[in-house]
Formats: sequence, C-alpha cells, structure tokens
Amino acid sequence: MRDVATLVVAVAAAVLLQLLLPNRAIWHQGWYSVALVALVALLAVRARHAAVKAAGRARAAVVLLAFGGGAIAFSGVASGLLAPDRQQIVGAPGSDIFVPDLGGSLRFAALHGREPPALVLPGRAPLPIASQRYIGAFLVKQMMRTVVAVEARDAADAHLTITQPTGSAFSSPVLLMQQTQRISGLDLPFDAFSVPAAHRIVKVVLFSAQQVALMSGISGSPRPVVLFAVDDETDRPLPHAIFLANDRQQVAVGGLRLRATIVRYPAVELTAIPSLPGLTVGFGALALGLGLSLSQRGAKTPSRSKS
Amino acid sequence: MRRSAPWILAAIAAIVATLVLVPLFRGGSRVAGPAGLAGQRAPLIVLRDDEGRPASLARYRSKVVLMNLWATWCPPCREELPDLQRLYAADASRGLVVIGVDQGESAQRARAFAQSLGLHFPIWIDAQQDFGRAYDALGFPTTVIIDSTGTIVRGYDGALTFDQMRAAVAPLLARLHS
Repeated sequence: MRDVATLVVAVAAAVLLQLLLPNRAIWHQGWYSVALVALVALLAVRARHAAVKAAGRARAAVVLLAFGGGAIAFSGVASGLLAPDRQQIVGAPGSDIFVPDLGGSLRFAALHGREPPALVLPGRAPLPIASQRYIGAFLVKQMMRTVVAVEARDAADAHLTITQPTGSAFSSPVLLMQQTQRISGLDLPFDAFSVPAAHRIVKVVLFSAQQVALMSGISGSPRPVVLFAVDDETDRPLPHAIFLANDRQQVAVGGLRLRATIVRYPAVELTAIPSLPGLTVGFGALALGLGLSLSQRGAKTPSRSKS
Repeated sequence: MRRSAPWILAAIAAIVATLVLVPLFRGGSRVAGPAGLAGQRAPLIVLRDDEGRPASLARYRSKVVLMNLWATWCPPCREELPDLQRLYAADASRGLVVIGVDQGESAQRARAFAQSLGLHFPIWIDAQQDFGRAYDALGFPTTVIIDSTGTIVRGYDGALTFDQMRAAVAPLLARLHS
C-alpha cells in the first residue's frame, strides 16, 4: 500500500508542477511523457498486487488511488503530447483574431483604450483577459509588448494612407514589430509599411532605451528611438532616406513626413496546461481513496492495541 | 468490491478521457477577410463625414447599407466608384444607402476626388484606419453589405461590377419592401 501511495504522490507532483510552471518546454518533450507513462504503468502493477492482497475498504482505497493517479497522469500526458507549444497571439488594435485552440476570436481594443483583450465565443458575452485565466486546456494571459503607431503625411501636410501588405492587419497604422533585424550584434524589433499614394515603402527598426544606451554610450536616461529607412515602391533604397526619430517626433524623410509613437500594447499568450476537469476527477479519487485508507487504519488500530 | 464497480470505473475513465481530450481538439476555422464576416453584427464605428460631422451606421438602421472602403490612390477603387454612384442613383429611393469610406486620407483630398467623379453618396473619412481592421479588409477596395437589421450579409475583397453590386443588394431591397 505504501509503494502505491508513493507512486501516486510522484505522479501527482509531476503533473502539479506542469500546472504551476506551465511555460517550461520540458512538458512537451517525449521523454517526460514516457517517464510519466512508465510511472503510471508501475503504479498499475503495484496497485494490482496490493489490491489482490487487500479486501473490503482497503481494496477500494487502492483502486481509487490508482484510478486517481491514472486520471492525473492522463491529463498531464495529453497536455504535453497533444497540446500545442506556447503561442503568442499578437493582434492589431481594433482587430479580431480567430484562435482555433480557443474555439473563438480574441478581440483587441483600440490603441489607447484601457480595455484588455477579450475572448469572443459564439453566443456568449466577451470574456476579458486582464491578467490570466484558465480556459479549457489553456492558461491564457495578457502580456505587454512594444508596438509603434506611425503617421505619414505628404509635403503639404495632408494625411496619407498606410498599408501593411505583409503585416497581420492590412489596414493598420500600428506596426506590431514581430520580426527582428540584427544590427551591431543586437536583435532589434523590425517592421515595414507602405505609403501607396507616395509610392514608398518604409522600414522601421525600434531601439529600446537600453539599446540606445549600449550603442551610443549615453549614461543618463536615454529614450527609445525609431529608425526610418525609406525605399521606393520597388524596394530600392532612396538616397539620404534613413533617419533616427525620437518618440512622437515628426521627421521629413524620403519625401514623407513621418511620426512614430512608441506604445505598450497587450498581446495574449496561450500555454497548454493539464486539463482541470481531469485533475479534479483525479484528485477527487485520490482524496476518496486516502479517506477510505485512513478510516480502515482507524478501524484496525484499537484491535492491535488489545493484542 | 461489488461486480458493478469495474464498470463504474470504466465509465468514469471514459468521461475523464472526453473531458481531457475534447478541449485539445476544439479546432474550427474562419474564412479570412470580409467574406468571413457574413452573419455577424456590423461593428458600429463612429467616423466623421467629409464636412467633419460625426457619422455612424446607427443612423441607417432599417435601411440596406453598402459600405465601400476606398482611397484616391487605389486604381481599382477609382474604376469602381462610378458604378457605386450609378447603383446609388438607381436604388436610393428604394432604401439603399451607399457609404464611401476613405481610408487614411484628408477630408479635403477625399472631397475633391469625390466631386471630380460626381459622387453624391455620403463620404466618410477614416483617418485612424479603423474601418479596415474592424471589417477585416485584406486590400482596397473592400465592400460590405449590411441588411436592415444591422447584420453583415456579404463581404467582398476587390472591385465589383455594377451587375454584381445590383445582384447582391436586390434581394435585400425586395425583402425591405415585402
């Protein structure tokens, strides 16, 4: 009975770690699942052995402990083997992104709105994802990223349309900065947009305050900057069309007046976790088995003291 | 243990397996772009018209609305806009509202362009480019047709011919008058 309890505790501890530290890659590795399955196989063998020897409540306790351990391990293995790795859903402000794993869409609020992203499931009220939530087999949480809102004007200061033919939202003036560009040994967030009316393609590289300090040797308190590189519509660089701009500073470059506003904006991270209903049933069976086992011992103790 | 116990355990195990596996295979898909919006409520975005007045779809409930996303620099938009004017002239009296949403340009530029083409339907200015994101635009032009209850009936990526526009709004206008 003791070895059954030890194995059950080991299985439960391993799967609880999956739940408490969900971001670790180890849970999705094959050897982890094999180890968990091996532990459950050993548990089944030991439990069968113990159940044959026991009778009445003791046997029921062994069966419940083994069943609970199995349910917990199944939840852990299913999450590790079948669920996808960690995903980051990055959406443009005001857009809806369909997420098949959640069976609904994530709705991203306006750029300067204070609402968190919300999960929209058919026929239900939107579910805000402010900090973190358990939804189905996933831990869903909001995380803040840096994005760059750009504004383009012509020489007469008239507003120009910005498009992102290769971005996640074609019609958005907010660059999500999901790619990186290596400059001077630093991996820097990078994005690009088009200004079709002016036949221009603009590449944008973001330098964080720390990176500015590292590259320029500024001590004090440096600020993040944006590098604009303007090409013509065939992607050929224009002469003298590279410019470093501070946050919210309008600069004239490549025949355009460009302004970048650096903003913190939420994205959503999805991490697979062991199924909560599966764990509830598993731990429920464990609790029942433990209760039966303790009551069995309580019933035995007086007779032992008499002998 | 009673004889029925193994069966009860097997049944509970099957329920656990279902509970664990179903959320992992939820799946599903959605058509990308404006075509995937059919059947959804039309997002109510408040923009400004070319005179700077607030403009919203809420004003046009109980009408059939055709919204077209365009810009002056977009060649297919320039070809499509005269057909939209033709449709508006033909069906406005039957309850059709055509709205041209200029994306990302100044009101002066949009107004001058609309006047040069003789457009008489309302022109809205979307300086912050909200419409394209809310209506899942994949390019210019984008057209969305909304019925009298405020539900998106069809969404199109790319220019439409006059006959295609007419065919799309005709059943909705017929329903409006039935």
